[in-house]
Amino acid sequence: MFTYSLQGLELTAEPTGVLEVEENETTARSAVYQLLGAFFASGGTTSFEKARDGLWAKELFEAATLLPFALHVGDVALPAGMDEAAFAAEFGRLFGSTELLGGARTDRAAEIATVHREYEYFGLAAGGSAPRPPDHLATELDFLQYLCFKEAASPSPRLAGSFRRAQRDFLAGHVLCWVPGMVAAAQAAGAAEPFAAMLDLVGVFVADDHGYVAALIGG
Amino acid sequence: MVELAPPGGLPGTTAGVTEDAYRGRWSWDRVTWGTHCLNCLAGCPYRVFTRGGEVAFEEQGGTIDPVAGGVPDLNPAGCQKGSAWSVQLQSEDRVLHPLRRVGERGGGRWEAISWDDALAEIADSVLDAIDEVGPESVVFEESVEGGLLSQAPFLRLAALLGAVTLDANGLVNDLPVGQHLTFGKFSCASTVDDTFLADVLLLWHANPAYTSIPYFHYIAEARYRGAKVVAIAPDYNASAVGSDLFVPVRPGTDAALALAVCRVLVDEDLWDREFVATQTDLPLLVRADNGRYLRQRDLQRGGDEETFYLWDEVDGLRAAPRATLDLGTLRPALSGTWSVELADGTPVEVTPVADLMRRMLSAYAPEEAAAVCGVPASTIETLARMVAGKRCKILEGFNAPKYFHGDLMERSMCLLLALTGNWGRPGTGIQGLALGGLDGYLLFSMKTKKGVEEAARVLDGIERAMRTMRERDPEATDEMLGTQLLSLATSSGTTAPPVFFNYHHAGYRETWNRREWSDPTMTRSFDDYLGDAVRRGWWGGVARPGASTPPRVFFSVGTNPLRRARGGRAKLLDNLWPQLDKIVVVDFRMSATALHADIVLPAAMQYERVNVQYPITHMLRLSFSDAATPPRGESRTEWDTFAALARVIAERAAARGMHEYVDARRQTRHVDRLGDDFVVGGDFADEEVVLDEWVRDSADAGTLPQGSTIETLRRDGSIRFTGLGTFAPGLSVATSVRPDEVMTAFRWHVEDKLPFPTLTRRAQFYIDHPWFLEAGEQLPVHKEPPRMGGDWPLALTSGHSRWTVHSIGMGNRHLLGTHRGRPLVILSEADASARGVVDGDQVRVANDHGFFEAMVRVTPRVRPGQVIVYNGFEPYMFPRWEGANEVEPGMVKWLHLVGKYGHLRYLPFGWQPVPADRAVFVEVTRVEDEGEGTEVPSGAVAGTAGEERG
Repeated sequence: MFTYSLQGLELTAEPTGVLEVEENETTARSAVYQLLGAFFASGGTTSFEKARDGLWAKELFEAATLLPFALHVGDVALPAGMDEAAFAAEFGRLFGSTELLGGARTDRAAEIATVHREYEYFGLAAGGSAPRPPDHLATELDFLQYLCFKEAASPSPRLAGSFRRAQRDFLAGHVLCWVPGMVAAAQAAGAAEPFAAMLDLVGVFVADDHGYVAALIGG
Repeated sequence: MVELAPPGGLPGTTAGVTEDAYRGRWSWDRVTWGTHCLNCLAGCPYRVFTRGGEVAFEEQGGTIDPVAGGVPDLNPAGCQKGSAWSVQLQSEDRVLHPLRRVGERGGGRWEAISWDDALAEIADSVLDAIDEVGPESVVFEESVEGGLLSQAPFLRLAALLGAVTLDANGLVNDLPVGQHLTFGKFSCASTVDDTFLADVLLLWHANPAYTSIPYFHYIAEARYRGAKVVAIAPDYNASAVGSDLFVPVRPGTDAALALAVCRVLVDEDLWDREFVATQTDLPLLVRADNGRYLRQRDLQRGGDEETFYLWDEVDGLRAAPRATLDLGTLRPALSGTWSVELADGTPVEVTPVADLMRRMLSAYAPEEAAAVCGVPASTIETLARMVAGKRCKILEGFNAPKYFHGDLMERSMCLLLALTGNWGRPGTGIQGLALGGLDGYLLFSMKTKKGVEEAARVLDGIERAMRTMRERDPEATDEMLGTQLLSLATSSGTTAPPVFFNYHHAGYRETWNRREWSDPTMTRSFDDYLGDAVRRGWWGGVARPGASTPPRVFFSVGTNPLRRARGGRAKLLDNLWPQLDKIVVVDFRMSATALHADIVLPAAMQYERVNVQYPITHMLRLSFSDAATPPRGESRTEWDTFAALARVIAERAAARGMHEYVDARRQTRHVDRLGDDFVVGGDFADEEVVLDEWVRDSADAGTLPQGSTIETLRRDGSIRFTGLGTFAPGLSVATSVRPDEVMTAFRWHVEDKLPFPTLTRRAQFYIDHPWFLEAGEQLPVHKEPPRMGGDWPLALTSGHSRWTVHSIGMGNRHLLGTHRGRPLVILSEADASARGVVDGDQVRVANDHGFFEAMVRVTPRVRPGQVIVYNGFEPYMFPRWEGANEVEPGMVKWLHLVGKYGHLRYLPFGWQPVPADRAVFVEVTRVEDEGEGTEVPSGAVAGTAGEERG
């Protein structure tokens, strides 16, 4: 057979107990991904209201406090006179039906299959009831938020390392393959605030975060 | 045949027709990666070109990056066997539908049945066997062909059932027993590019021009940089043609040759004392009164059994360090006799193994050895001086283990390497077999769900287990702990050495007890030795299925026992077959075994499914084969086949009211959950998902580049391993993988002084087990091959052919067209002439065990006294379907039943008795001469019973 099997080997588990996750650089990265993911999830009422009330900027600023690298949040504010309908219309104009879909730029079916496998391998189901496609920017940012949180919460140093490597690889293999281009295209289309600022922010953050993780573990 | 014509066509011809034919032949619309997953120690990446949904042709990829500066790369990697693979997709011997025999087994009549009917019938047989006898009556042959995704599915089903899988290495006898005896492991092979770095290459028991075509260029390239190539073989084979020195050794006498070389090295003071003192057991002291090592328990009551001693030139008697090979300030004497006082006050003389070696070598003066091995004394001396002080590598195939005393040959070859300081440095060592570790594959069998968290759970559990073991043995290396872990798994796994199965159930007992076919130094019957070994618990837990557990269902998945079994097809048909209620063959072609099965299930071939070659250190790459086309006919992948079978077994068990059972190891098996358990509740629904999981887990564990997935393989075709794995097989290579370096085995032993996993924790040439002492094999010696098959004048040898890997390519029309397309008996001119045989005659090869007939090829390249039949011809290619294995008794060496002696204990794919098939003694006669007063071996008469069988 030219291979061996360890089938039947009984392995004992070490009790882990309740794990408290302290806020640190990794949870900060997780929080930024969560906020960015939420912003790009839709141009709906909640997002508009947070923009109107200055909450995106406030929450991002707070989340970035513990980041291991500087992140300039900038002015994520609504321009004067932009109402909810205009906000939604600008979201639709910039992103249409496909701009936020990574797979739209390549072989979409293959891209979806690939990210599906990523999600499943790292413990997430990517079923049909998900609110957005698996290659949507918000989904990918949510996945990175999840990976960072799992790294922070992992009882096993081995597992923490696995989740950290996964962040680096997912950024390099997926997000960075298409987000910079998407950002550039949207900016070229004259993105209004707060989209222009958030586009800049997501572009800078994914690049800087990849640089940070890669510097930590190589690659 | 492709016709060529210049653009526009030849004047006066039908211009574009031939050009169109050419362009049509070499056009394609899709390209994927493929490899062939054969047991050839290679995984050559091929580009597979498809046109209109059919494979059109394949080409060597040639895209492997160079590794080390100044060292040639692996490209183009491939051979004619791989390049003709696509021909077999459409071969006439393809199995395309599930088949059920009609009438008698082997009668040649079949009916096509549905998959549902086939699986239901098999499932019922499995359940009947479990119900009536127990799950150990369900037996699978392990395979060395087909790649990991062909093997994993049936191993998984066997494990879930609590069935038995017969260790492949005990079936195909590729186990380098002598290497295991010496090093405590057989994983000694470096990457093939290490060949380039040698000063002297000994092609010994190997014919790489036939068997290692993708790697042969390293031999030529090494010559360009000044290396000397020595071919040591009985016949002037294809590899010898390109050598600097041909050493024509008589079959089965290689130990005498090697020991004579050692003798010259010692006599001329050309041996590396420091290397020997550091790496080997040669400084260890042996008692003169009983021939056993001096142990701590000899010197003090309650002393340790495994602490050994050496004689320091300054401080006298000192314990040899066990945690390291580093001797520090110790200066062990390699010669002398001293008296030490035993615990009871008795004085006893002790002497180092090195002195015993010298005494042993005194019997191998070049002139004396020349008379034994047929190599002139001057050649022996030349060879010794050629290797002394040089970086010398032995390129060994799997030939030596197939001799009855192949272990002695290999131990002698290893001694030659030891005396010349030739392992653990670039361009040195013995290049046989070594397994890398695809960690994800190993983890898979223990995972209860998909994903990285489960992988981490298992890996953390393994780390804890190893930590606990280390607390018990703080001096153990990771390699030793990895081996212990494997040993623990074995006690609850499915793998069993086939020697006991063959003895109890396949009719070998009578053969193995024929003393005249075995070694004369056996003092008792084989029965006695085997009974003794079992009674002493040397094979506790793995001697399965026992005598009282008759086999009922037999699965052959990509294996071909009726072609391969030493002992012959008749042995299995007459003894094993009648006991079996169901014989199931899963294969893509109608092999000899399939022809005698009850049900044949059609398997998808490479290019029709995803697969990876098993991890092997020779290329150190994981090579991928994609699904270029759908499987032909109704063929399925093994994953689909066994997942479906698991589901059907569960359903039919539930219908019987059978929900669980307790196996022979007292484990409860939930047969009603079998289908779900196989696919882990649907997590592993198909082989694509399974392979992706293996690759991801391997990358996460560090054996493949981080971030690798199945898509990486799909893009690149093959990936270089970044590590040899967390587990035993990879750790046994005892070296680190670096991205820009040739990988040389055993560097941990030489550079880091990590001990060997042997009893003495050193490369061990002295085996002080009582059975070895009794046999006079405590040190390597030469023994004549026993007269296996009877006292006949010709020694039958074999080897892999140039045309196939085993019998896999035997149905390939293109490859058959490159030779005579039929089995050949290759005979020397002298022997042919003496028998009135001429090239092309039909001859009968016979001995007291059996016979076969084939066409003779007469050639000066075979030495007188030798006859060669290359491996792989299907029995049905011979008259009466009597293949070359009919003259092979399949004798096993009794000493290999030893267990619980340091490193001599069973491990899957490792230490165990393996059957011999080289140097079987035969006579050759022209078929037309029968009945004309020619002496005919008894097997030729007994064998006529086979005429009714064809």
